[in-house]
Amino acid sequence: MKKLINFVIIASLLIGGVMFSSCSSSPSEEELRQLDDLKKSVNALDKQISDKKAEKAAIEKQVAEKNGKLQQCQSDQEAVKKGLGN
Amino acid sequence: MKNIYIFSTIIFLLFLIVAPSIAQEEMTKEQWQTEMASYKAKEADLQSQLTQLNKDIEDLKAQSTKLDADILACEDALYALLGVTRADVEAFDSELTQMENRVSEFQRMSDAELVNYKDEMVKMDTRLKEMAQSKICMIPRYGDRVSALQQKLMALLNSIQKEKTYTVGTWARDRDCLWNIAKKKDIYANAWMWPKIWQGNRDMIKDPDIIKPKWVLKIPEGSELSKEEKSAANKYYRKKAAAEPAEVPAEQPK
Repeated sequence: MKKLINFVIIASLLIGGVMFSSCSSSPSEEELRQLDDLKKSVNALDKQISDKKAEKAAIEKQVAEKNGKLQQCQSDQEAVKKGLGN
Repeated sequence: MKNIYIFSTIIFLLFLIVAPSIAQEEMTKEQWQTEMASYKAKEADLQSQLTQLNKDIEDLKAQSTKLDADILACEDALYALLGVTRADVEAFDSELTQMENRVSEFQRMSDAELVNYKDEMVKMDTRLKEMAQSKICMIPRYGDRVSALQQKLMALLNSIQKEKTYTVGTWARDRDCLWNIAKKKDIYANAWMWPKIWQGNRDMIKDPDIIKPKWVLKIPEGSELSKEEKSAANKYYRKKAAAEPAEVPAEQPK
């Protein structure tokens, strides 16, 4: 019984040691800075994309309005030609 | 010895509890690598989206510029068909817009207020008739606007042109004279308004002192005498004063 207990304790300490040693393998400060820069770059890109999407939507609206205006003008031309008997 | 075992077991258990939280606070190399890979992929994806968006925006801008030129050309051709210039159309549009705004103001007025603007509305109606004859009105959007405005103005004019009438009774029974009729609450509630009834019924009333029973008099709208009505009244008072200097105006005309 005593041997078994000893075995459990030793095994536990070994496992614990292994876990601790694996946890303690962390990236260097330079690597963490790289990750931080990358995150900042992704966030900046996100914002740029959001701005560009808004700009695109505004221009699409303008284009749709201008298309409508052109169609209106063409239809006015037809009506005037008809009215003038051309 | 037993105490050592218990102590070791407690330490071990504590370690098991604390170890995961230590692991969470401090990133492992593997986690760093995973995050780097994930963010790099995201960055590449976003970069590609941005490039595509920039391209789309450039295309749309080019499309918009082309549309501007097409619209201009189309309008020039349209105006040339009508023999008018862009400046003519802009002036027409501006005048029409001003009239539309004015009519909107009229629409917010009560009939009583509106009566004071009758002359302006009649002038506007005349101008709209001229505008309706203009070549620019052949452009449907202007023709429609002019026509809609004419209808609104006509409705406003109709609403104030519903004339009230009064059937003259006898002097013996009703004491009806222009002065007393104007004084009635449902007419003007103001005896000094009698010249308005006189001037509004010049076809029947030649002498404001003489009105006959059963005449149906028009009661023009308004809360004040016009310049012409005041002038007619003054002329009447002078004539009356010359003929009967002692007569009090409050008792005239009969």
